[in-house]
Amino acid sequence: MYVPYLLLPCIIHVTWGCSHGSISCCEVRIIKLDAPPSHCTSHTQHASCWPSKPNMTDQVPGNKSIPVQITEDEAAVYDRQIRLWGLEAQQRMRNATIIVVCLRGTATETIKNIVLAGIGKLIIIDGEDVTDADLGSGFFFRDEDVGKKRVDAAKARVESLNPLVKVETIPTYSVLEREVVDATLRDADLVCVTDWRRDDLIQLNEVCRRLGKPFYAGGTFGLFGYIFCDLLNHEYIAPDRSVTKDGPKNVRMTTAYSTLHMALKHKWSGLTKRQTKELNPAVVYGILAVWEFQSLHGGSLPDSSEHADEVEAIANKLLSAADVNKQVATAVPRTLVETLSTTAQHEFSPVCAVVGGMLAQDILKALAAREPPIANFFTFDGDTGGGTVCRLNMP
Amino acid sequence: MSRHRTSHALAILGPELHNKLPETKVLLVGAGGIGCELLKNIVLTGFGHITLLDLDTIDLSNLNRQFLFRKKDVKQSKAMIAAQTAAAFNPNVHIHPIHANIKEPQFDVRWFQGFDIVLNALDNLDARRHVNKMCMAAGVPLVESGTAGYLGQVQPLLKDRTECFDCLPKPTPKTFPVCTIRSTPSQAIHCIVWSKSYLLSQLFGEDEDSSGELDDAEKQGENAQEIATLRKEAQAFKAVRLELRSPQSSTSNGRDAARMAFQKVFNSDIRNLLSMADMWRSRAPPTPLDFDAIMDGSFTHNKKDITNGVNGKGHTVNGDGNAHASGSKAVEKLLHSSPNGDARNKKGLKDQQVLSLKDNLELFVSSITRLAARLQAGEDTISFDKDDDDTLDFVTAASNLRSVAYGIEEKTRWEVKEMAGNIIPAIATTNAIVSGLIVLQALHFLRKSYKRLKNVHIQLKPSVPLSSISLSPPNSLCGICRDTYTILACDPERATLGDIVSGILGGVERDVSIYEDKRVLSDPDWDDNNERTLASLNVTRGKFLTIVDEDGELGTIAVAICDLPPNHPIDSPPYILPSPLPTPPHIVKPPPPAPTTPPRQTLKRRAPHDDDDEITEIEPNAKRAKLTNGNTKIRPAETPLSSPSKRRKLEEDGLVLMESATDKLDDDVIEID
Repeated sequence: MYVPYLLLPCIIHVTWGCSHGSISCCEVRIIKLDAPPSHCTSHTQHASCWPSKPNMTDQVPGNKSIPVQITEDEAAVYDRQIRLWGLEAQQRMRNATIIVVCLRGTATETIKNIVLAGIGKLIIIDGEDVTDADLGSGFFFRDEDVGKKRVDAAKARVESLNPLVKVETIPTYSVLEREVVDATLRDADLVCVTDWRRDDLIQLNEVCRRLGKPFYAGGTFGLFGYIFCDLLNHEYIAPDRSVTKDGPKNVRMTTAYSTLHMALKHKWSGLTKRQTKELNPAVVYGILAVWEFQSLHGGSLPDSSEHADEVEAIANKLLSAADVNKQVATAVPRTLVETLSTTAQHEFSPVCAVVGGMLAQDILKALAAREPPIANFFTFDGDTGGGTVCRLNMP
Repeated sequence: MSRHRTSHALAILGPELHNKLPETKVLLVGAGGIGCELLKNIVLTGFGHITLLDLDTIDLSNLNRQFLFRKKDVKQSKAMIAAQTAAAFNPNVHIHPIHANIKEPQFDVRWFQGFDIVLNALDNLDARRHVNKMCMAAGVPLVESGTAGYLGQVQPLLKDRTECFDCLPKPTPKTFPVCTIRSTPSQAIHCIVWSKSYLLSQLFGEDEDSSGELDDAEKQGENAQEIATLRKEAQAFKAVRLELRSPQSSTSNGRDAARMAFQKVFNSDIRNLLSMADMWRSRAPPTPLDFDAIMDGSFTHNKKDITNGVNGKGHTVNGDGNAHASGSKAVEKLLHSSPNGDARNKKGLKDQQVLSLKDNLELFVSSITRLAARLQAGEDTISFDKDDDDTLDFVTAASNLRSVAYGIEEKTRWEVKEMAGNIIPAIATTNAIVSGLIVLQALHFLRKSYKRLKNVHIQLKPSVPLSSISLSPPNSLCGICRDTYTILACDPERATLGDIVSGILGGVERDVSIYEDKRVLSDPDWDDNNERTLASLNVTRGKFLTIVDEDGELGTIAVAICDLPPNHPIDSPPYILPSPLPTPPHIVKPPPPAPTTPPRQTLKRRAPHDDDDEITEIEPNAKRAKLTNGNTKIRPAETPLSSPSKRRKLEEDGLVLMESATDKLDDDVIEID
């Protein structure tokens, strides 16, 4: 069952206009909201019509305290970003609680970015100890931290990035177990799981769906990286940049997301050669093949060229099952497979920076309900620097 | 020290590149938004020797993205603090911070040659062009980068292999015609520029005698009536300046001077302008403002709806509607004290609230009072700084008063700060992404896998947020990377221009012109400077002598001036010629253009523009500019104004020297500026 969710209490009332037929019809004005648009007679059926959801000033379910207002001092620190996304977006970030699971390189970068941006509260869940190899991308760790709990080593350094953000840590993954996971996620406005096994992501995604929490997954495999998100039914305001006269015009949009479980059944049928090529299916299926390999090997990632044959076979099977345009790709290139097979379990600071940057930016966009977030599977190829997004099981 | 710290990097980079990194010398120019992120990446990746250079100090507004800095570090050197913080990320690397400007002479071409790779993390066009040129001259690979809001780009550059930064024309800062600023503003930005660049400097800047300028303008046949008006203006400003600097102004709290200034610029000057009826035939005339009437609330505007004036549009910068911002104590006071303060926005930040006309006048008076007190306290001149509250208050108030007079919509202090300070929104995430992409391109350079280099853009296209495109070859007409560079070690105090030039040319007689930047030092008909030393011509370490072939048959030679080695014998010539001597390529002349085509950019060198330091240019979807486009300014060789013969020669060639930027050109002449 879908529980209507709200990201955050909203300080500013927004109205909408509505006309049928186009999702980008709705113009945003800054007037007080108290009634549906008079010309819209069927707003209950119409996805982009506003009052199908509670008034944004309502309190978020759960015992959320009164929203914190941005002070003048905070605004001085956040000046350059408020100029980009506006004060309302900053307020929404300020009042958000984010859970980040697994403190490896991708999370390190993501956490740095969302803490700097000024979210309200961060909860880090990680049950592992710092290893030597973690020092390669984990700038919250020092040599002397090796052997300590990752969250214990990192906490003070995360806090020092921005004293305005509350940081909590949970030094065990057991809080994500079936019996207790609901309580763990209850107060979060958004859940972000990084460098995690696919099958567990699918499960956590289902939990988040049930609780009405937006869900992000991200990670890196050597030079490659990915982000998946399930934002349920996400409403946001986006400037329609196709209108060039008088600058962009704001429109309200709604996007219905897919679960990871359903997204993985996606078929590429119907895309033209050009559309298919632009999305770089080889990288997409290379990454999905690593996930599948991991699932088949009890959670172990491929770690040598001896695994390349198996990864290749999986990748090609997935590619053909997904009905990818055969004029573009009938197989995932061997070099790509070999690179993935030998480097998937390694993380590399520059790649973490790119994926963690994209991931954090998207979390902030989702919180602010401004700008379209990723929909819904981003992949990054660190060799070319290219990054594409394909809509898996989304219209 | 950890044995396994680099185990991931080893697996990804392979042993060859991985083992090379500890010996790699990298120059990172800039420790700001991109610089902090990039420093973290290269420290973690294990680049062994990092030289980090930045001239700036830390500001509070940096802390939302420059994560190596804390509140306690504000006002400290960015390079020093960044190096200190990042060093802890990896004890195996050496970071050498330098708090300096990259354009200083000690950072000459030879210094650049000491690096395996240069990474740019700059925020202004001028420094980017400088580093690009130095890297082209030194033959060192450069990864160039930039961000603006959600957008960003990364561009790998290497002489002769890729385009250089200057191969594509860059957008130049927007400029406004003087008369629009002085007399006929129609947008808020015109009033802001007027307040910041004109009024503030008239009152608090250097005392300039503008009579000479006006004499010249008169000679050039400018409108005599207008010039007479300007003369009167200049006189009146003198009186206000005196008042601001008189000790009495401190007793009256500067209020008298503020009133005088107000009376002059918002009343009598506007009355004078109104008397020029021609000016207002096709545009709405301004309304003179009345100090007392505004103060007692009786002022009425002869326009009906001021808030929907000439460009009446939503007054927000980011489309947020409820535009509001931070910081001003003066604004806060006004908002609390003024009963007729604007009731439109009661929420949000003080600086994002719209001030009433009276509030603006109060702010005008209070800012002038504060600025006058600073003059009394010993400051000679005061110029605009967006982080100086007094000047920002002044520009906010003065530009809004002017906007009211001209029926233009007023701006909030928040918006004025952004417009007057050329603030570009900046966020941590874009910088993080760009800095990751920079390292990935830099690794291709270190592997010498040039074919894998890509330009990468962060863009708004939903299906392709990171677009990776192949590099273009150098633009054969580029005035920077098509030059043949060479290094000359010399003592500029003793080496003469003539000796150097003939030495570089290897004694071959050919007609050449010699330039330093935009200055002509000699040409075939004018060799007066040949006996002079380089130092006397101000051609010193870090600068370039440019040797241009007059017949256009050989490429241009750019000679980078460096120091002599310390052990250079005093009795030998005061220079060491490069060996081998530079051999510029033969130029394949393009066929003469058909008479109907627009002029081509045929000359080799393009004069570097003088660009505003604050401008960050970024073109996420840069299209190759059409060089034959009629709108493209054509910038041939350096401005030859210092050489009479050059000027004559150009005129013989059918070229026209332009006296001012506003002169109009026909399509078939070439503009020189």
